[in-house]
Amino acid sequence: MKWKYYPYIPVLLAYVVLFLIGKGVSGMWQLMSMLFFYCALGQAFNIFLGMTGYVDFGYVAFLGVGTYGMAITISKLSYLQGYGILIIIAGFLLSMFIATLLSVAVGAVALRLRGAYFAIATIGVNEGFRFLIEGAKIWNGSEGIIFMSDLNRIIGSKSASSLCTFWADVFVVIIALLAALVTLIYMRSKIGYALMALREDEDAAKVMGINVTKFKIIAFITSACFAGLLGASAWALKTPYVFPPEVFEIHYTVEAIIIVLLGGAGTLLGPIVGGLVYGLSKYYLSVIVPGFQLLIFAPIVIIIIILFPEGIIGMIKKRTKGRWVERFII
Amino acid sequence: MPLLELIGVTKRFGGLVAVNKVNMRVEEGEFIGVVGPNGSGKTTLFNLINGVYFPDEGKILFNGRDITKLAPYKRAPLGIGRTFQIPRPFLSATVLENVAVGAMFGRLGTNLGIDEAFEIADQVINRLNFQTLRDKIASNLTPIEKKMMEIARALAMKPRLLLMDEAMAGMHPGSINEMVGFLKQVAVEEKIAVVSMVEHIMRAVVGMAERVVVLHQGSIIVDAPTKDALTDPKVVEVYLGKASEE
Repeated sequence: MKWKYYPYIPVLLAYVVLFLIGKGVSGMWQLMSMLFFYCALGQAFNIFLGMTGYVDFGYVAFLGVGTYGMAITISKLSYLQGYGILIIIAGFLLSMFIATLLSVAVGAVALRLRGAYFAIATIGVNEGFRFLIEGAKIWNGSEGIIFMSDLNRIIGSKSASSLCTFWADVFVVIIALLAALVTLIYMRSKIGYALMALREDEDAAKVMGINVTKFKIIAFITSACFAGLLGASAWALKTPYVFPPEVFEIHYTVEAIIIVLLGGAGTLLGPIVGGLVYGLSKYYLSVIVPGFQLLIFAPIVIIIIILFPEGIIGMIKKRTKGRWVERFII
Repeated sequence: MPLLELIGVTKRFGGLVAVNKVNMRVEEGEFIGVVGPNGSGKTTLFNLINGVYFPDEGKILFNGRDITKLAPYKRAPLGIGRTFQIPRPFLSATVLENVAVGAMFGRLGTNLGIDEAFEIADQVINRLNFQTLRDKIASNLTPIEKKMMEIARALAMKPRLLLMDEAMAGMHPGSINEMVGFLKQVAVEEKIAVVSMVEHIMRAVVGMAERVVVLHQGSIIVDAPTKDALTDPKVVEVYLGKASEE
């Protein structure tokens, strides 16, 4: 059987090019870091939204608890000097663990619901979690956790600043690459075909022997895991503080949905294209027409969705059918 | 031991008794036509056999095993395949992928790798003379092609019992003959019992079924070899009304 991983080449290429632009052109790193985040966010969310067709409005909660996972680990273990890197690894593990726990809890209840009912059930998850933290004063409640000084203590102030300004973004790229790899592995395995089947017709899938609940939960947990990691690096390590209202903001879920749909839901390259289109428009529109960026951006989104209902990659995939580039695009 | 046995199966929706104390047996490799006018309970009967609904009363045995309350996705691996009245293809996938999904999660599913599933799908498509459509996206198929693909998908599951819901309706008589011939051949080779359900007593049933079960208002009124069933006064009455007294 022929090699099945050609589509990973453009994924790698995209991030290498972005990375080189960020490093090579002065003043570009900040923009690239934003693009990395949006691409990674799309890539992680796509595993659930794109592959199952279910919309999770509470998705940002997984990033939120991921941020907390890292913040708690660093602030609680800051007395262990000299173990800097290990503490950060522990932070990533805890982030992933909490996000997984939350996804199992939410998934076990909400994934029994279908379509729009699922979306409605999840819409309160992030707000609910925020009020739980603030109200019950868990993890410092509404005061949040500020752990810059803890970070300085465990790895030194110089490393801490390069961690915040450079390595946190590199971690985001690594997470995006891992999420893309897992997406591709899923697509090329029974999991991918099961998810495709249940996305297209859940009842027919059941009758054909597919345990739809199991596969939905697999996709949900995988997607949540990456969201936890993303929160831990893009939010906790990049800005070493965490406040509940900021990390449970539904706005990010909406951004993730737009990115996935723009690029092409359920495609491998879609989140990258969607993340780039979204990030670049957001950035440059706010420079060119400050204050009016959303007014301009909204019609752009509408036009793209009308022209390419299957997303940009969905359209390209159709156009390239039968040509040699086909093998790279999925 | 019969392949499938229904014992006193009843299903109600509110006050409506959709399937009423049905007793039915299907032997291995048998061809059965389930006939009945619109609303007679045929589709409900199918949904009970493959687990979309659970019966309110009665038992369903498959190969001697009680499957009355078994989840639908656990029945396909036992060897129960099905096609739908209105085809339900996975529209974004190609014909080959659709058929391969059948193989992946069907009776051989658990031990089957992806590549082997695609091989089986290829074989089924070749047998059906479907090669030209192999790489077409399912949403671009004609309704008839969708029906054919659904049959291919069900056969790729390597079922022991195949439930066909109005599979031939709307097909060209020529294609029906071809399809019936093909199905018979495959079913005999692979020892598949076929239960085909139709609204009207069509030539297809006559040509294919060894036995006909006639449903009327949720109950079986006739269960007899095809020729006898078609001339049974009760069947004539269901379809044409009672003979006038005059």
